[in-house]
Formats: sequence, structure tokens, C-alpha cells
Amino acid sequence: MPETETFRRQMPPPLAPRPLNFPQPFETKLTNGLQIVVVEEPLLPIVSIRLSFRSGDANDPPNLPGLSDMMTHLLTEGTDTRSSQQIAEEVERLGATLNVGSSSDFTTVAASALSIYTDEILDLLADVTLRPTFPKNEVDLARENTKQLLIQQRAQPTFLASERTAQVMFGAHPYSRVSPTPESLDAMAVETFVEFRRSVFVPNDAVMIIVGDVDREEITARVEGLFANWESRTVPPWNFPALPEQQARRAYLVDRPGSAQSNIIIASEGIKRTSPDYFPMLLMHTVLGANASSRLFMNLREDKGYTYGAYSTLDARRLAGTFRTTAEVRTPVTGASLREFFYELDRIRDEVVSEQELNNAKSYLTGVFPIRIETQEGLIEQLVNIKMFYLPDDYLQTYRDHVMEITADDIQRVARKYLTTDRAAIVIVGDAAEIKEQTKPFASEIEVYDTEGKRK
Amino acid sequence: MQKPFQVPHTLIEQFTLDNGLRVVLNEDHSVPVVSVAVYYDVGSRNEREGRTGFAHLFEHMMFQGSENVPKAAHFQYISNAGGTMNGTTSSERTNYFETLPANQLPLALWLESDRMRSLNVTQENLDNQREAVKEEKRLRYDNQPYVNGFLRLFEMSFRNPANAHSTIGSMEDLDAATVADVQEFFRIYYAPNNAVLTIAGDFDRTEARNLVEKYFVTIPQQSAPPSVDVSEPEAVAQREDTFLDKLAPVPAFALGWKIPARRTPDFYALSLASHLLFEGDSSRLYQKLVKGEESVVQIQGGIDERRGPSGLFIVVIPKPDREDAQIRETILRELNDLATAGPGAEEMEKLRNNLFNGAVRSRQSSLFRAQQIAEFALYDGDPDLFNSDLENYLNVTDTQIRDVVARYLDTDNRVLLDIVPAPQEAIPAAPHPPGEPKQPTAPLPQIPPPPEKTPSGPLATTPAVESVSDSPK
Repeated sequence: MPETETFRRQMPPPLAPRPLNFPQPFETKLTNGLQIVVVEEPLLPIVSIRLSFRSGDANDPPNLPGLSDMMTHLLTEGTDTRSSQQIAEEVERLGATLNVGSSSDFTTVAASALSIYTDEILDLLADVTLRPTFPKNEVDLARENTKQLLIQQRAQPTFLASERTAQVMFGAHPYSRVSPTPESLDAMAVETFVEFRRSVFVPNDAVMIIVGDVDREEITARVEGLFANWESRTVPPWNFPALPEQQARRAYLVDRPGSAQSNIIIASEGIKRTSPDYFPMLLMHTVLGANASSRLFMNLREDKGYTYGAYSTLDARRLAGTFRTTAEVRTPVTGASLREFFYELDRIRDEVVSEQELNNAKSYLTGVFPIRIETQEGLIEQLVNIKMFYLPDDYLQTYRDHVMEITADDIQRVARKYLTTDRAAIVIVGDAAEIKEQTKPFASEIEVYDTEGKRK
Repeated sequence: MQKPFQVPHTLIEQFTLDNGLRVVLNEDHSVPVVSVAVYYDVGSRNEREGRTGFAHLFEHMMFQGSENVPKAAHFQYISNAGGTMNGTTSSERTNYFETLPANQLPLALWLESDRMRSLNVTQENLDNQREAVKEEKRLRYDNQPYVNGFLRLFEMSFRNPANAHSTIGSMEDLDAATVADVQEFFRIYYAPNNAVLTIAGDFDRTEARNLVEKYFVTIPQQSAPPSVDVSEPEAVAQREDTFLDKLAPVPAFALGWKIPARRTPDFYALSLASHLLFEGDSSRLYQKLVKGEESVVQIQGGIDERRGPSGLFIVVIPKPDREDAQIRETILRELNDLATAGPGAEEMEKLRNNLFNGAVRSRQSSLFRAQQIAEFALYDGDPDLFNSDLENYLNVTDTQIRDVVARYLDTDNRVLLDIVPAPQEAIPAAPHPPGEPKQPTAPLPQIPPPPEKTPSGPLATTPAVESVSDSPK
């Protein structure tokens, strides 16, 4: 090894900071209430479009879980003037993409293309949104294939873990449903989709966001031409059952015989996306488990070698949320891993985080922020979230200030408030015969389920 | 309908240090972000029998500290500066990369240079990372349906052990790795003359060049590593096999072909042919099988792109009541049709527009640019291929596509693997069969990315810092 030059002894100081120029969104609204946001980005000849609705899986009727999911899938399977095959061929001949998807709280029709094909892709987006026909043969095919996918999903430990966690944490609230069921699929007919689309795809509850090499006047006129005749409707208020109260720390084992690992999720009730505790929770999450220098990773992976990765998840949605810590560990160290998880959860409740950890978390969050808006896809996703969750218009501009305001006391306050370790739910997918004894010391009660979701 | 289009030119500047380190700069001021990538010319192709999984295990060791950077501090330094990072191993190379706020460029160069010149290899670190790698193997392979079975396809394709064994390796070989092995591996393969450094993003060219000189120029050159023989006979190693999968809920089958190396005229044409066959809802096989006959639930395909003989594969999950043989018949008929009639004009237009859109869209990311440029610099000695290689795809004609499908795909020289759900007790607890699954690939039902691009450690893709929904879709 060569002799060490002195400059290598210490981490080098940063260079002069370089400015981050925020995009300038241009906003307008059609008379039917459709909000339009345009960001002109002439640097590259491409365009990204999102048409988002404030209706998501949570709005599926109680007897029809998966309806939003199926409806969005079927939008591109036929319109008044185009067959499923024609839609796929027209989109892909442009080299473009057109995808529709739903999450718990909202539904998005997403398109991207070279900007020379902006008009063509916008026409297609309007067609599948406004004039889908849900042809019977396509509905039947989608139902049949989705049933097969449900079977495959049950072989995935990550699905089983998130399904059980949602059931335990959300109870009667619609967030508890994470996929369709064979029964709900059988109950969905052509008319179900026609009626559901009409009720949830409402212009006055939607936002059209366009980012890219476009002229805002031209594109707004174009959107108006395509969407102005779409009638506004009253949107029913969201009225859902409350979350169940967790009374004690219980474990829920999903028995998956032959598992090579245990998938662990420890969950507590968290916050809504618009909670004033959002930024304190974000900082707490960053210290505890957001990345590979957080406490959970350093403990369970780097120190103990129990897992390939241990993280936390800040799951903050429109109406409610959870806070989760997760890892996939080899079966024999399931109990030892639970011990380390609860050690870290208690530690962040009981001890104020150090000034250094706080500063590290702040510089992580403020530093990765520009990386997240480096691409059109990254930026437009931020804009969709701002609109769908009614976040302030200056959210991007003030994000870093909000992060910097948080104190170590704020972190301890939210840790104590939300990391209710005495009532946490422990969900483990693994070989129950191997892990039940290991779990006993950590839970007042253990419930065992099979991979079909039935109590054993 | 095809409109004229020009992909914007990407600025690329290259130079070589006295110690042989090849450096490429791509200056772009659109966002105050910088990405640094270091590519070492070592992958699973360099491993010998009995030491499989070594390149990947070593990748983990690169995060375990060096003379001036304590164990695991690499993660800390990057995160605390507001950056993200990872490393991956493929058959072809091992890469390390960071994306940071632009003014933190010196930090990335300090970290990358310190581990290139002075990695700390200790028994304790080796033991700890061996465990992390074993967990990675359990997580990504052994605890997933289809993955181990599906990846068998590659070892059925290749006869040369350098090509046939997996990047993750076997548990037994991982156990056999010693500290002395690791030190020797470092000396041979992690020398500046066996690496490429690229920097893409918002920086000043002169300042960046001075920093690179400062941090890297005194790292000593080593003699060139031993050459690798990846040559293959044209014939596949084994044409048919059945894999019992205790985690698979339903049967599946896979087809595989051996195809020529990347950047050959036939490879370009096959890559476009594969797009027409199985990429997207308008692709031929999707329209024939998922639609049309409605005989399969899912069909996916991909190309394993290598500097030597490469692979092309298709995986099918049939509907429960359908005959596999009949589905295969349809696939082979479609291959024969493409091999006889060739693609249509609309298909050629689709390929052009997809190439343009993909090229421009991917260029937005400084990390993507740093990585792609590094590959061209390392494999081809020509980073400017980042700009010019697109032409090689655009110049492929319909006749060329027809002819390569006839020559490489519409033949009996292919492998067929049936993946059959196995009852628990049918699985021997004995060691895995010789030769482990091939490349790291996502399990069904997700579409597997091309194996070359699949991250294989040291970190899983970090979950989103701010997730808004966990509905598994």
C-alpha cells in the first residue's frame, strides 16, 4: 500500500453549493372543475402526463374489494372507437406508454411520450378515460387471469405479510383490503365498471398534470378541447369506520411451511399524510430505519448479520396510517431479531437522539430531495402527491425548511406518541413450527393463520 | 406517421491517468446533482469452480472499511451528505455508484479512492458479510417461487463453466472463501488499470479533473488480470429438464436460446426481435397467447446481455386447464412466422419510436448516464458509444430481423425447462444440485428486468422514504 497522503486522513469538505431551480407550475381550471397544472421543461424533447382522481381502492364498495384495480386495468381494454389491441398498438407505435393504476387514496391515468407525439398520446389518454366500454370478453378474461394471479400472490411472503398487517391494523376500515377476492371478482359485471367509472371519474375531483417540452397555452387549449364536455358531479363524502384499537402486543403468524426466512413486520398506528406530525415522524423514521445508515440496518444487518436489510416504513395516507419496522431474517434468528427490533423501538422512545444523528437525518433528507426531482417522472410524482393530498402549493419550495425546523425533542415526542410497543402488532410469515416458540416471549397472544388467510 | 427525430447529444470527455485508470466526464447542469460510478472489470465470469459467488461476496467487502474509512462508514458518509449509493455484480462486471448533491463530489472521490487503494480485509468482516450474502440468497432465491427453477435455464444453455454458474454462487463455495482469497482477489482485480471511473452531472470540468488526479493518481498499477475464456459451442448444454419447486403454486415453463455477444450485428437484430415478440401489450406473443387463444396467464421474456455468448428466454405461466405442448406450438409457430415473413412496417415504426423514447427518457438520470457510459468505456473502450450506439439499432432492417430469428430462434437448438410444483416431502434436504441458478432476477409475477441490470447487493432497493400506499400491486 502506498504511503498515505495527509489529505486522505479526513473527509473532504463540500464544494460551493449549486443552485436548485424549482419548476414553475402554471395552473388553471376548466369550467367543469378539472384542474390543470403545466410545467414547461424544454430541455429534453419528451412529455409526461398524469390525470389523477381523488378516489382509490378505499372507495371500493365493501363487497367489491379490488374494483378500482380492475376498473383501471380495463380502461385500456376497449373504447367506443378502439379495441384493446388497437389501443396497445397505437400507444406502442408512438413509442409511448399509457398505464392506469390505483392506490389506496387515488387513481392515476399516466402517459409518457416523445413531445412530437404529445397530441396523439393525449387523445388516447382522453379516449380511455372518457369512453371506455369494458367489453364483456375483456372483463371475463381479466377476471379469469386475476384469479390466477391471486393464487400466485399467495405464494409470495411479502404479500402475505402485508395482507395480514392490513387486516390487523385497519380492521373494518377499507385500508384493510389489499387485493380482490375470487368472490368480489365474480360479482363484477360490465355494468359494475360502467357505473363505478362514472361515479369516481369526476372532473371536479381530478387534476391533469403535464410536465415536459410543451407550450402551456397550446396544451391547455388542447386539454380543454378534449375534456370540456365532461360533466361535473357531486362527490360523495368519505365516511369510513374507525381503526380498531390495539389492546395488547399480539403476534400474528402466517404459516408458510418450508420458508427459508421469516418476514417480520412490527406495526403501530401512525399518522395521516396531512398530520402536523408528518415532518417529526419523517425525521424519526430516518434516524430509525429509512436507509442503510439508520439504526435498524446498522444493528440487525451490519452488527448482527441477521438479515439482508432492516428498515422502517412511514405509511401515511389520506385518512390514516401505520408505522412499520420490517426485515426478512433467517428462521433460527426470528426471536433474536424481535429482541433487537424492540430494543431499537424502545431506545428511540426512551432516549433523545443525539445532535449528530439529528443533523445526519436532516442532511440526508434535504440532500436526496433534488435527486428525487431529477427526472420528469420523479417531479410529476411529487406534483401528483401535492394535489391528491391537498398539500400546500409551496410544498417543494419549503420542504427543506420544514425538515430543518425539527428538533430532537420533536422526534422523541412522536416516538413516544406513535411507537406504542406495548400494543404493537407483530406479523411474521414463516414456518410456524419453527418460529412459534421463538415468538412467545414477545407477545401476550399468538394467532396462527394459513396462507389462505384462515385462522388455524 | 413516423416523424423525424433527433436525440440530443450528450457531452462526453475522457482521459486516462498514468496508472491506467480510465476516466469519463459527462457535464450537465440541469439539476445540482452528481453521480459517480466505478466499474471494475470482474464478474462471475472470472470465477473458477469451487469459488462461485466470490465476485459478489467481494462486492459486499468493499463496504467494510479501508485505511481512512471505518467499517460500514461508507453508508454513513453518503447518507449523511444527502446521497444514495449501492453496488451490483453481474457476470460481466462489479460496479459501485453514488448520487449526491453536486457539491459533494469530493466526498465520493475520497471514498472510492480510499477503498481502491487500501481495502481492509479481516476475518470478522468476511464472516459478517458472508451471512448478509446468505440472507440475500435466501431472500431473493431460496424463499421465492420460480426463481431457482427459472434460473436453471441458463446453466442448461451454457456449457462453459465461466458462463454457466450463477452470480450469487453456492452456500458451500461462500463458506469456503478465506481472507487470503479475498486479499488476492483485491490485488488482482481492484487495480486502477482494471477499472473505469465516470462522473455525470453538475460539476466544473477542470475542478473535477483536478480532484480525480488528486485522489486516484498515486494508486499503484498492477499487472493485468488473467484473461477469461467465455467461448461456447453453438449447441446448448442440455435441451430438456424438469425442476421441482416447493414454493411454486402453479406450473410454469421456460424456453431459452443461446445468442451472440452484445454489440454484434446479430445481437442488435435479436434485441429488436425480442421486443416485437414479448415487450408490451401489442407484442406478438402477448396478443397471441394472453389475448387470442387466452391460454396463458402471463408471458415474460428477456435478454441476458454479455460480452460473450448471451441468452434470450421466455417464461410462461399457462392457464390451469391448458396443454403446455399446445402453447409451445403457438410460440414456435410465431417464431417461424417472424423468421419467414419478417416484421411489418408498423412494427418497424414501433421499434424506432421506442428506441427514441427510451434513449431520451433514460438520459434524464445522471446515475443512468454514469452507468451506461462506464459500460461502454469498460467493455468497448469507447464511452462515446453512449451517443452513437443508438444508430446501430436504428440501422437494423426488417430483413435482418427476419434472418436472425430464422438462424437463432426458429431452431431446435434451445432449452426447455418445466417448473413443477413439488410437495414438501419430495424435496431432499441435501445440498442443492451442482450448479446453482443463474442470474439474479425478480420472481414472477413481476416482469424480470434484464439480468444484467438487476441489483444484487449490498443493499436491497431502499424503500421509499415517504410511501403513500402499501397496496401490493
